[in-house]
Order: sequence, then C-alpha cells, then structure tokens
Amino acid sequence: MKPAAFEYHAPESVDDAAGLLSSHEDAKVLAGGQSLVPMMSFRLARPARIVDINGIADLDYIRYEGGALQIGATARQTAVEDSSEVAAQAPLLVAATGHVGHRAIRNRGTLAGSVAHNDPASEYPAVLMALGASVTAVSSAGSRVLSVEDLVSGHFLSTALGPDELITEVSVPAQSGGHGFAEFARRHGDFAVAGAAAVVTMNGTGVASASITAFGGTSPARLDEAEAALVGSDGGSEAVAEAAASATAQFPSTDDIHGSADYRRALIDVLTRQALQQAIAQAQEV
Amino acid sequence: MTTTQWIGARAPRREDPALIRGRGRYVADINLPGTLHMAILRSPYGHARINSIDASEARAADGVHMVITPDDIPDHVTEFPVIWRLPGQKDSGTPALAQGKVRYVGEPVAAVVAESRYLAEDALDGIDVDYEPLDAVTDCEAALEEGATVINEDWGDNVAIHHVFAGYNALGVCGYEPEVFDNADEIVRGRLTIGRHSGIPLETRGIVADWDEIHGRLTVHSESQVASLFRTELAASLGLPETAVRVLTPNMGGGFGNKWDRYPEDLLVSIASMELGKPVKWIGDRREGLMATVHGRAQVQEWEMALQSDGTILGLRGKVINDLGAHLHSVGIGPAWVTGAAAPNQYKITNYYCDVIAAATNKTPSSTFRGFGGPEGIFGAERMMDKAAKHLGMDPAELRRMNMIQPDEFPWFNAAGAVYDSGNFPACLDKALEAADYDRLRAEQAELREQGICRGIGIASYIHVSGFGPSPILGYLSYYTGGYEGSTVKVDPNGKATVYTGMIPMGQGTETTLAQVAAHHLGIDMDDVRVVWGDTDQTPYTGFGSAGSRSNVAAVAVIRAIDEIKAKAVRIGAGMLEADAEDLEYADGMVSVKGAEEMRSVSLAQVAQQAYWAHALPEGDQPFLEATYVYDPPNFTTASGCHLVVLDVDINTGKITFRNYVVVDDCGPVINPLLVEGQIHGGVAQALGGALLEEFVYDEDGQLLTTSFMDYLLPSFTDVPEMEIHHVVTPSPHTDGGFKGMGEAGTFPPGAAVANAVSDALSHLGVEADELPITPSRLWGLIQEATG
Repeated sequence: MKPAAFEYHAPESVDDAAGLLSSHEDAKVLAGGQSLVPMMSFRLARPARIVDINGIADLDYIRYEGGALQIGATARQTAVEDSSEVAAQAPLLVAATGHVGHRAIRNRGTLAGSVAHNDPASEYPAVLMALGASVTAVSSAGSRVLSVEDLVSGHFLSTALGPDELITEVSVPAQSGGHGFAEFARRHGDFAVAGAAAVVTMNGTGVASASITAFGGTSPARLDEAEAALVGSDGGSEAVAEAAASATAQFPSTDDIHGSADYRRALIDVLTRQALQQAIAQAQEV
Repeated sequence: MTTTQWIGARAPRREDPALIRGRGRYVADINLPGTLHMAILRSPYGHARINSIDASEARAADGVHMVITPDDIPDHVTEFPVIWRLPGQKDSGTPALAQGKVRYVGEPVAAVVAESRYLAEDALDGIDVDYEPLDAVTDCEAALEEGATVINEDWGDNVAIHHVFAGYNALGVCGYEPEVFDNADEIVRGRLTIGRHSGIPLETRGIVADWDEIHGRLTVHSESQVASLFRTELAASLGLPETAVRVLTPNMGGGFGNKWDRYPEDLLVSIASMELGKPVKWIGDRREGLMATVHGRAQVQEWEMALQSDGTILGLRGKVINDLGAHLHSVGIGPAWVTGAAAPNQYKITNYYCDVIAAATNKTPSSTFRGFGGPEGIFGAERMMDKAAKHLGMDPAELRRMNMIQPDEFPWFNAAGAVYDSGNFPACLDKALEAADYDRLRAEQAELREQGICRGIGIASYIHVSGFGPSPILGYLSYYTGGYEGSTVKVDPNGKATVYTGMIPMGQGTETTLAQVAAHHLGIDMDDVRVVWGDTDQTPYTGFGSAGSRSNVAAVAVIRAIDEIKAKAVRIGAGMLEADAEDLEYADGMVSVKGAEEMRSVSLAQVAQQAYWAHALPEGDQPFLEATYVYDPPNFTTASGCHLVVLDVDINTGKITFRNYVVVDDCGPVINPLLVEGQIHGGVAQALGGALLEEFVYDEDGQLLTTSFMDYLLPSFTDVPEMEIHHVVTPSPHTDGGFKGMGEAGTFPPGAAVANAVSDALSHLGVEADELPITPSRLWGLIQEATG
C-alpha cells in the first residue's frame, strides 16, 4: 500500500499553485489529504504531480464579512467545528461537521477539500447546497464563483471544476431560519448510508421557504419537489410526511454493500422527516 | 502488592507499560542491516487460468533484486501441508504461489524483492500475467451442485469432506434414531447463515527471513502463534534440517487464530533470503490482510429439532455446509468439524445427526479463527432453542433449563463424541436471568411494545471445549501435532525464577498469567519471576499453542515443574536444617520444619545458593534448581456460561440499540479477574462484529468488495455495549488448579444472543433473524417482507 511515484510541488501562493495546475497535466491538489492519500496508497489514484497547497499561508482562515462566512481552502474541519463565527452564522455547518469522520480526521481534513472530492456519501456538499454556499475557483486564466449546487450536483467523485482550477474559498451566506440535519451511518464516523439537511423559514401562516438536500445516493441532491411540497404548508406532521415522501421519490438512490436502493429510500423518508421536524421546530422558536 | 497468593489477584498486565508507551517491538520494527523488501502480485480474479507470466520488465526495474514466479521456486520447496487430515478429507496444502491457475482474489501469483517496498510495488506493474478468466463459484451450496465448476481439478468435485456425526454411542447413551423424528410431537426447523468474517488483528501479518550462509541457518522473525510448529513446517517445506531454523517472535498485535496458520509469504521471504543472502522483509498491508489472511465462520446450517410437547428435546439433526474457500488451509476443515461436535451444546441431546460438508468456493481460504467452529455450533443450537420455545409458546429460559445437563451428570459424553468434564449450566442461566432482572424485563417489554418500541431479550448458553488437547485424542482425530505444553522453570542462585514457555503471547497477558501462577506456587513475589518466550532456540517445543490452552495446559506445566523444584528444595533444605525431608514442608518461599516454621527454616534463595554452590548436595541430586515438565492433559476442559442481551430495534431503519449485556462465565477458578474480564470484553466485541457489522462480501465473479476498513466494518467502542460480567466457578476435576480455557469463550454466544434478541423484539411481526451479520439493510428487508 505505497503510492506510485509522483512529483511533489509546494507552491507558496495561489498564483503559483494555479500556474502549476495549468502547466502540468495530471496534477492533483493536496489539502488535508484524507481522501487523496488513501486513494494514492491503494494506487487507485496515480497523479503524476501533487500540488500541496498547505504552504500557502493566506488560505487558512474563517471570517464573517458581508453577510457571509468566508472559509479558506486550507481551513481544517475542526476549525469549522470549533469556530464561534460558524456556530453563530451557519449552525447547520457545525451540526454536520460532527458527523464527518472522526476528530482526528477532521484535524487534517478541510471543508473545501471535501467539496472538491465530492464523495456522494459525504456531508459537506449537500449541507453547503442547503445553505446556498458558493466557491471561488481560481485558475491561471482568472477566478470565478460557482454555487456549490452547480459545482457538485449530478457529479460522482468529481465536480464541475476544470483540471486547472482550484477552490480557494467557500462562501456560506448567513443561515436564515431553522435547520435540521440527520444521517444514518453504519458506525459513528462512517460515511453515511444516507442523510438529509434542511433549512426552513416560517412566517405567520406556515413554511415560507425551505431548502432540502440529501446525500448517500449517486450524487448530492437538492430535493426541490420536497421543498415545493413543504413551502406554503403549515409545517405540521402531515406536511412533513408529504415532503418526505416527495424527497424519497426524488432521491437518486443507489445500491452498495451497505444498503439497497430501496433501503436508502426508506432511510431518506425517515431522515428527511427528522431533519424537517428539527428545522421547523427551530424556525418556530426564532 | 505483597502477597504470595497470586492466583486470583487482579495483577496489572506486565506487558502494558511497554506496549502502551509505544515501546513494544513488532515484526515491522525489525530492521536488519541490508534488508530487502518484498511485495506480492496477487490475483485480481476469483478464478482464472494463468496462461503465462512475463516478468522481464520487473526483473529489469529499478532496485529490483529478485522476482519470484512459479518457475523461480526451487524444486525442493514444497507446499505447507494441512495439519488436520480427517479421514476422507481431500488433500491440498498451501503453495508459495498459485500453480497454473488462481482460485481466489488475493492469491499470490508472483513476488518482487527490491530495495524498498515502494520500488517493489512499482515493479509489480512490470509483471505481465496472461489470465484466462474461468467461471467463479461463490455460493457454497451451488458449489455442491451437479455440474458446478470444479475449483481443484484433482479433487474431482468441490467437496473437501463430507463427515457425518451419527450414532456415536461410546457409552451407549447417544445415538441416532431417525424414527424419533417421524414420531415426535413437534418438529422445529431452521435454516441459518453465518457470514464470512475473520479475526482482524490490529497488526497485520508480516515476516522477516534472514539467511546466514556461513552457519547455514535461517532466522525468521515471525508472528506465528505457534512458533515451534511453524519451525517444523518451515524447515520441512524448505528442505532444511529443523536445527537450521530459528523462529523469533516479537510482540504480537493480536492473532485471533489466523496467525496460527502457515502462509505463502512465509515461504516466499525464506526462498528470497536464501537465494540473495540478505534479510528479506514482507509486512502485509491492510488490503492484503483482508484478502489474503484466512477468513472464517462462513456456514449455511439446516436443523431439525424434535421435541415432546412439554418441551423435552428428543433429537437434533442437521446439515452444516462450510463455505471453505479456495483450498484447505493449515487446519483443513477442522472448524466445521468442531461445529458439528459443539451443536448439542448444554443439552441432553442423545439423538443426534449432523452432516458436515465443506465446499470449495473461489474465496480466500477459511481456517482458524478464535472459537474454531464452536461459535458457529452454538449459533445453531441457540437459535434452534429459541425457535423451539417460540413454536411451543414457552419461555426460552425455561426450555433451556429443562433440557440442560445437570451438575451431577458429569462427565457427559455429548452425542458428537465430545466429553464435558464439568459445569453448572442451570446456575449460569439463573445468574444471567437474575442479573438482568428477567421477569421485570419481560413486563417492561410488553409495556414498551404497547408504545411501539420493539425491545428484545436474547439468551444464549454455551459450552466451550477448551484446552486442546490430549495428544492421543488429537492422534485419534488425525490432527498431526501434539496437544501438550512444556515449561522449564529455573530458579537462579538468588532465588528468583525464570519461566520458559513455548506459548506465544498475542495480547492475552500470557506473560502475566504464567508469572502469576509461578509466583503463587513458588511463594515468591511476582516481580521475581521473569517469563521467557518467543525464541525457539530457548523455549520448549509446543505443538498447539491455542484453543484456550494457556491457563489450563501451559500453566499446569509450570505448576508441575515447580512441584519438582519444590521437592528438590526440600531435599536440599533437609541438609541445611539437619532435619529429615519428611519433616519439612515448602510454603511461602521457605523450606521449614513442620510446626517450627519460625525457628527452623531456610529461604528459597538460601536453598538456591546451595544448589549452585553444590558443596553438599543430597546424594543423587545434580546442581542447579530447575525442572522441565511437559504436560499432556488427560482430557479437555469444558468452560461454559450464558449471555443475555437486551436491545431495541427501530423498525423504520433496522437500527439496533443495545440496552444491556450480561455475561455469566464459568472458566473454573479465575487466575486473574482483570485479564479474564478483558478477554470477555474483547471476545464479545469481536463476536458482535460478526453478528452486526463484519462481512467479507464477494460479487458473483468472486471479486472481493470489502478490502478496506471503509467496507469491512469492525466494531469500535461506540458499537459495543457496556458488559456486566458475573462468574460461576466449577473447577475442572482433572487440571491442577481446576482452570479451564477462557480466551475464546466470549466469542461463542453473542451471535445467537443478538439474533435471538432481534427475533424476540420483532416476534409480533414474525421476523426471524437467521442470517448474520444482521445489518440494518438486511433487517429492514426482513421487516418489509414480514409487514408486506
């Protein structure tokens, strides 16, 4: 279990990193390495070059400005978990982070790296979608901002990024409304068999807005049919059950050794319900 | 602690200070100057013919010293044989490399020796193997069908053995009467499946071979659990005299039986070191550990239990099909045989029949794993007990109690030929029921069900025939090794003792246990006893070294050697005290005149000094104060007990949540409660893994899908419930100290206890959890079937 030979680059600036990515084919960005390094050790990934961005000092930050959290590409998941800014502005992100592997993994793993890797069973892509987050992608041609939804949805272990682009920042708008998060994993810290995240706002008559996403299928998914079912309803148990049924129908389920597609759909029903109940209860308190 | 009553003391493990500070030394830590590293090319196919192997590119690669293909193996090297060769069993050993075809994913095809493991793995890409894929056989029942693809052509079919337990009636008490099944009031049937899993040591397998050309000696640093037998077999397979092989065993990070076996890599590193004249090292990575270390447990069982309507069991008959894997490994079909022998369990089942069939499949060979077929037999017996209780509308505890062998009925010859030496089965059951407050649990269960909470209570009783074993019985069973344990005890001139054992500690605290037993019997401080193990040049030969034989076999060898030392100390002391030896006694490390201990006594140290000065030894006694005793037990010891588990099932997700776990264990007198509890905790955790999480999954082509810990799920502390442990103590009548084996017992009942509890929780739906592991997805599927 030793990786194949590769060339190692440790750029000190984003420009240098982008330059390396654009001038070399088959280069991979290394941030926390919690997925890439095992894949390389199994020789499932054999990149010719590694561009290690950990030496780029100004990528390790979490700050709140302009109504959004700005999270740098090398900010560790534990930093997200422990940040009072994140807890105040996007508590859903903190709730989900506790489910990402174990603390030791989160000590190295990064939020941006998790999104860039886009494992369909991982928490962050779906949760960031629910929060309406976006990323800044940089290449030597310039930079662009993509919504996380455009970045990850429909993709499996890949994203809409070009091979010459790297994510430098994840931007998370301040969460408005209550949130819910629920996942089912075989053991604590495992990748989820399935999971759901929700952000809900209420007005005087019921549910004003809902953002519902799920993971554990073929790709992280926005469940807009569930959202449509819920918005305008009173947010009571019948409405929640109806939304969960829509979520279950829309969820891009899949089979693997941890669960059949039917089983995953059954989980999505349960988990969406749990997430929505939490979110609605929280939104009503606000 | 200042005591000489060491047996029974909660002595802390003397192994721990080094191990928990990272000061242990494992095979991977052994770095001899000039070491070369081996990587293995493994089969990517479950079943394929090898048309050709072209290794020319690998041979020319950077840093490569040697490539081993089947053509590079010296002619005199032979495969490792099967040790347990039951009559009628097919014969196939473990070769160094696949011969002409590959039979499972992970089977070694070639090896590269290079200057680093990195370079060795790189060079594997330069070996071009032309495979011709063949149909894979992945289902053990399909393997037995007419026309099934034959995996080992020389067998003629896929049946490694068809062994029948029937009509054993050595004492005239047991037999098989099929008509009983025709005429019984009630017949209860069950079909059970146990998933393929294994003991997963934290430390993977690894080996360093170091050939000394000048002295003609091969030193092997290995983690074989049975170093002496390993030396015998390695020497034989390499065509070396046994004196030319020395096996050194450093710390071992777990064995669980799978390190008892001999493996291809043991031959490959030895061949390479002898060829190259340099140390050669192979450390298995986790992927190799999961695909190329023996698996275990996989069985399909079908049972029929005949009962009277009052619950009296009239007979048990069934079929056990063992999903053997590609070929017979070191112990042959042994575990499946033990399943057949263990299934009568604690009950007065005298009418018994069991077909044991081992079927070859295109999977990793299945072999030794903690419990060795016993847990599988207990799973069968205890699931059937619950099915019978349900069928009869009886309480499962009551059905067990009324059929149990009673304390005054030992020795009991079970219907498969196993002899139980002792036990108090009803006391274990009662203690478990009392500890769990069984009656209250049943009342609560009913209330909770009203509220929609599915709580289940599962009981599983077990016997564990431990202490393998009397060598003549091993001979009778065609098990080609001895079952004794030897020990040399040396008291040095200062009165401190050194114990030499052939046992290999794998984490159970063997060193602590033996030091405790020696200190107790010599009447000295535990810190004054050193235990030497892990070097075949220094330690006694051991033929077995497993099956819970530390306390009840190895410890007895220590006690008997010390008895000889004490007798000699008394003879020497007689001269020193100017008394007759008959008037003296040895106690608490002193030789004293009986009745005048305060006035006239000499210490062990004083006696030892005389023994080494040898100025005035008794006639016929030689200098030194040491003895060797090889103890061959007259019988097995029967440990037993009962587990009771309480859990809740979420019918929407299939999730199981433990509420209580009670263990009652009878391993006879406990040498060290701390270690016994640790063994129970570990055993139960491991078995819960097999019950709920762990499974090697193959697809229909024989591809192994679980090759990392992301897919092969081990229980961690969040998955294992707190355990409440109680003891019933029934000494073995025939071992010194009455000790019984206990290192494996924790693995016996959890599978059945959990399956019984899950089935109990869902009894209103008619769900029967008959397939392990009970994964959430699988359980949800059963609930869906039941509820439509």
